[in-house]
Amino acid sequence: MLCQNCGKNDAVTHIKQIINGEMDEVHLCRDCARHLGYDDIFSGFDFDFGGFFGSLLGDMISPRLIGETERCDKCGCSFNDILRSGKAGCSECYTKFYDKLIPSIKRIHGQASHTGKVGSGAVRREKTESAGEKIEQLRAEMNQAVSVQDFEKAALLRDEIKALEGGESK
Amino acid sequence: MSKWYAEKGEQNDVIISTRIRLARNIDGFVYPHLLDKEGKNRINEKVKKAVFEKLGDGYSFCEMSSFTPLQAVSLAERHLISADFASRRDESGLIISDDESVSIMICEEDHVKLQVMKSGFALGEAFARADEIDDSLDSSLSFSFDERIGYLTSSPANLGTAMRASVFLHLPALTLCGQISAIASTVSKLGLSISGAYGSRKKPSGDIYQISNKITLGITEETAISNLESIVRQIANRERGAAEREIKDPSAEDKIYRAYGLLKNARLLTTEEFMSLITYVRFGAYAGLLDIPVEKIDALIIEVQPATVSVSNEDINTVTERDAKRAEIVRKALD
Repeated sequence: MLCQNCGKNDAVTHIKQIINGEMDEVHLCRDCARHLGYDDIFSGFDFDFGGFFGSLLGDMISPRLIGETERCDKCGCSFNDILRSGKAGCSECYTKFYDKLIPSIKRIHGQASHTGKVGSGAVRREKTESAGEKIEQLRAEMNQAVSVQDFEKAALLRDEIKALEGGESK
Repeated sequence: MSKWYAEKGEQNDVIISTRIRLARNIDGFVYPHLLDKEGKNRINEKVKKAVFEKLGDGYSFCEMSSFTPLQAVSLAERHLISADFASRRDESGLIISDDESVSIMICEEDHVKLQVMKSGFALGEAFARADEIDDSLDSSLSFSFDERIGYLTSSPANLGTAMRASVFLHLPALTLCGQISAIASTVSKLGLSISGAYGSRKKPSGDIYQISNKITLGITEETAISNLESIVRQIANRERGAAEREIKDPSAEDKIYRAYGLLKNARLLTTEEFMSLITYVRFGAYAGLLDIPVEKIDALIIEVQPATVSVSNEDINTVTERDAKRAEIVRKALD
């Protein structure tokens, strides 16, 4: 889709608003969106960060980082897909592409560590660890499970280690 | 049941309403833009079950596909859903509390977008309510969370607290004396965003503005709210100061009474004309010139938005009929 303002570049910012009871959609390219101030004040009823964020992300990442080869195991999104849409495909994307995403996240928010609410039932992910460290830790847990004869747990851990080792050699 | 916007709120003269939105995702599901019909239905069922079990009675569920386009836009005009969500004609679900103060958009940008609205200036109160509902739902839905970057959201711009706090203000005096653009640029520099709540981006109407926090990561909910609170308080005080000065000016007084006269007598009113006049009437009301309760005016503003007028009056077929109906509603309200 072409930018509605200049009609030359691809539209990357899509803003929906309601004016006089009618749904109105604005499609703009990166330059026009910035020129028209859509990166500052969001109109209508609501913010629509999505498309705008896409262009912002893309701006910040040097092209050599963008590779289509790696995909999220859960949703199949590549890092490029996230850049294009400005949206992660699922929560696993943040684990998969954490290191690639973090510089942009930092630039948008000014920092990259959460200090707010920690939900009670929320699923907490482990702090960053290399796969090697993770495997070490799981091995220790597996040996521990074996020593107390909890073979069911040990088997689960063994599968997890296998999966991680498989991921590493890819 | 009476709706939240009909209630009188704190600092209701300048501050119309307060809104808290929290975005959450359910672990194990891809995000809404990748979800198929079946996935959306499963999320609907999960959220519905959690809401009805944990929050009890007083909530109802609808699928967006069950609304006509006009009904959906009317929901957005009543601030129950976002403009983006109003354009959905699919399985995306919506849960609304009877007094319309709580709404949950299911599979909007994220799986769950919880919204709490309060009349007047009530950031603390609205957040406490949202927080409480979030806790209840979290215990059965298990929201995606990462120790490092907080609540995981489809857009990285919402990571962290995933909270958007907004306050809707009526700033006619600051607009009249031309200070509004200076304020807008100051607000943006402070990491908040400001936008017109009605009309188009280039031409906001009714002098009603929405101010919200922008940053969600690396800041606690409490800090984000207290920052917003202190800025809003300062702007509201400046508005009152400007109002005191402006109201002494005969031309401002004239504008208020003219607007009042027109609204009380007009037989046809477009939305634009209504919005451009009601701002003066509301100004006169909060400054003590006109004896009309502001909450009545705020409810009227919502009631006469185009889709809302059409939805509640089924005999309307043309724009002229709608403008006539609007004028009639306005005359009745101001009588």
